[in-house]
Parts: sequence; structure tokens; C-alpha cells
Amino acid sequence: MAALLTLEATDYSHGMVSDPDTIDEAASIARAQAGDTRAFEVLYRLHIDRVYGLCLRMTGNVSEAEDCAQEAFIQAWSKLAKFRGDSAFGTWMHRIAVNSVLGRIRKSKREQDRIQAVVDTSSSPASIGDSGNLRDLSDAIDRLPEGARHVFVLRAVYGYSHEESGNMLGIAVGTSKAQLHRARRLLAQQLTEQGFEA
Amino acid sequence: MNDDKLTAAARQLATEISPERDLWPEIESAIETPLPQRARWTPMFAQAAAVVLLIGASSGLTYLAVKNDGSVITPNYGAGLNVELATFGNTYALGWDYQAARADLMSELAVELERLSPEERADVEKSLEVLRGAIDDINAALEQDPDNTLLQDILMKTYHEELNVMRKVGSVTRSVMSRSDI
Repeated sequence: MAALLTLEATDYSHGMVSDPDTIDEAASIARAQAGDTRAFEVLYRLHIDRVYGLCLRMTGNVSEAEDCAQEAFIQAWSKLAKFRGDSAFGTWMHRIAVNSVLGRIRKSKREQDRIQAVVDTSSSPASIGDSGNLRDLSDAIDRLPEGARHVFVLRAVYGYSHEESGNMLGIAVGTSKAQLHRARRLLAQQLTEQGFEA
Repeated sequence: MNDDKLTAAARQLATEISPERDLWPEIESAIETPLPQRARWTPMFAQAAAVVLLIGASSGLTYLAVKNDGSVITPNYGAGLNVELATFGNTYALGWDYQAARADLMSELAVELERLSPEERADVEKSLEVLRGAIDDINAALEQDPDNTLLQDILMKTYHEELNVMRKVGSVTRSVMSRSDI
């Protein structure tokens, strides 16, 4: 998404260009904390792609990812007063997004309806932002078991440490390492069969 | 494919993906619409919940107080006692049967307590103090909401519990006396 957003802007229509240099994120946070929904929209425009990307990678489903991303921002709005800037706003949003995904999965399990019950049979949704061989990798990630997929996405795609991934997912560091190992093994198996070359 | 290639490929995957549609309008709608109010956790209900906990705790304390030498005491839960709701207006008075039973037990309680060891007596008195404090709290809450059936029910149960504590003390002391006589 590329759009120019300034705090004074009144038109925040989708698709505008964002130039991080021109945006005072801290000021938007402060204004949003004071109840300014337009300032919160600025934050939304700044972070939606990263939040949605994470949700899409973790769920492998477009509609679920949209719901998770929306839920994450709604949760962020309700918790905004608690944000004290101890971490970057983007990191804080990421954590909320992960919780949103996990919350939906738990809810789906309770309803005996897995989050990926609706499988997109067309192209793999998470491969939207990828090209060439990376699409195969993206598709293979989508097919990973849930736990392995979550760890792989956070650790290998987003670069979080095992400690950070485990913390976000509510699992032990050892479990995170085991899931990553499992994910790599399954991915290598899948991709080798497809003749993938990185 | 080795791990290095896989890791390198994974790092090339897009981490920022634009949603196919603008999600903001729905988010905006949600944050501008006040969330439906959950049932408020009022002090009154908090008190009611506390009472339930206190009743459980007092039962435990009483049990500890009255058990002795491993003997099993079968509590007599309200047998022969017909507690009925008389009025639940400003005074929250209970039925005549309850009042009579309570008066009898109260008159005996001081004597019965003397038969217990100081530690057991302290435990029983503590239980009764907790229960009576709970009764006062529930009555105070009922003044604010006289028609609250949950509070009425809890009040009744708390009165029952108070009677049970007093009955157990009587049973225990009589049991102790019997064994001493033997």
C-alpha cells in the first residue's frame, strides 16, 4: 500500500500512499489514545499490511485473515490506553494480531470447526504477495500443521527469536524449536517432491 | 533442500500483504459503536459470590473444629427444621420455625462451646463470625435490591449454614461427653 498520509489529511481512502517519514506515529498514537479515531486510522493505514500479512501467513485463509486483522485493530483500540511505548507500536500490534489468530483458532476448535475449514481451492491466498518459486514455498507453508506453521511463520518469515515466538504463541522455547524443526522437515519434503529450487 | 536454502527462501517471502479490500470501514464502525455492556459485576454480586466462598470456608473451618480423634460426625442438615421465608421486606425476617430453632441453639451454644478446647472454640466462633458478617452483607445488598432472588437464596443458605454450625457443635460436645462417660 502506498499513500501519503499526514495527520492533517482528511481523506484516508484505501489505497493512498504512506510515507513513514512524513508521519509522526507517536503523535497519532497520542491522539488515538485520546479517542481520535482518525488518528487511529492513520495507525491502521501504517500497519495493516504487516498485520494482515501475518494473519494471512498464520491462518492461510483470506477471510479468516481479514477477520483476524480487523479484530486485532479493534482490540488494539480498546487496549490503546495501556500502550506505553515500551515496544514499537508495530511490535505491539503484531502481538495483538497473533493473539487474535490464536483466539479465533481456539474458538473454532471449541465449535469443532477448524479455522481452515474453508479451504481456498484456487490459488493459495498467502502466496498473494509472493512470486515464482516462492509461491510454492508459500503454498507449502499453508499446508503445514497449525503449530508448525505458526512457529515457522514467526521464526523464519518474520524473524522473531524462539523466545519471542514462544512467548507470543504461549509455548515453551523447546516446543518452538521442535515445531520449527518439524516445519522444516515437512517443507523440505514437500518442496523436494515439487522440484523446488531456491 | 537444506535448511539454509529454506531459511533464505523463507526470508524472501512477503511480510507485508495488502488485504484485497479495505478493512477500515468495519473497524471504524466497531470502535465507534459501544460494545454491548456485559452484565455488570456489581458490588452486590461480588458480595454474593464472596458469601458463597465464605460459606464453603466456614464449613471447612467448622469441620476442622469439630472433628476429633478421627471420629466421623454426620451433620444433621436441617433435619426437622422447617425454614420458610416469612417476609423479605425491610427486615428480612424468617419464619417462626427458624427463629425458634435459632433461639434454642443460641441458648445452648455458649454452654456447648465451653466443652470444646480453646482452639476448637476459636475456630467455631470464627466460622460463626464469618457467617454473620456475610448475613449482614447480604441484608445490606438486599436493601438496595429487595427483589433479587439470587441474594434471597444466598441469604437463606447462609442462615441454614449458621444453624448447621451450631448444631454440629452440639453434636460434637455430646459425642465427647459420651466417650468420656464410657
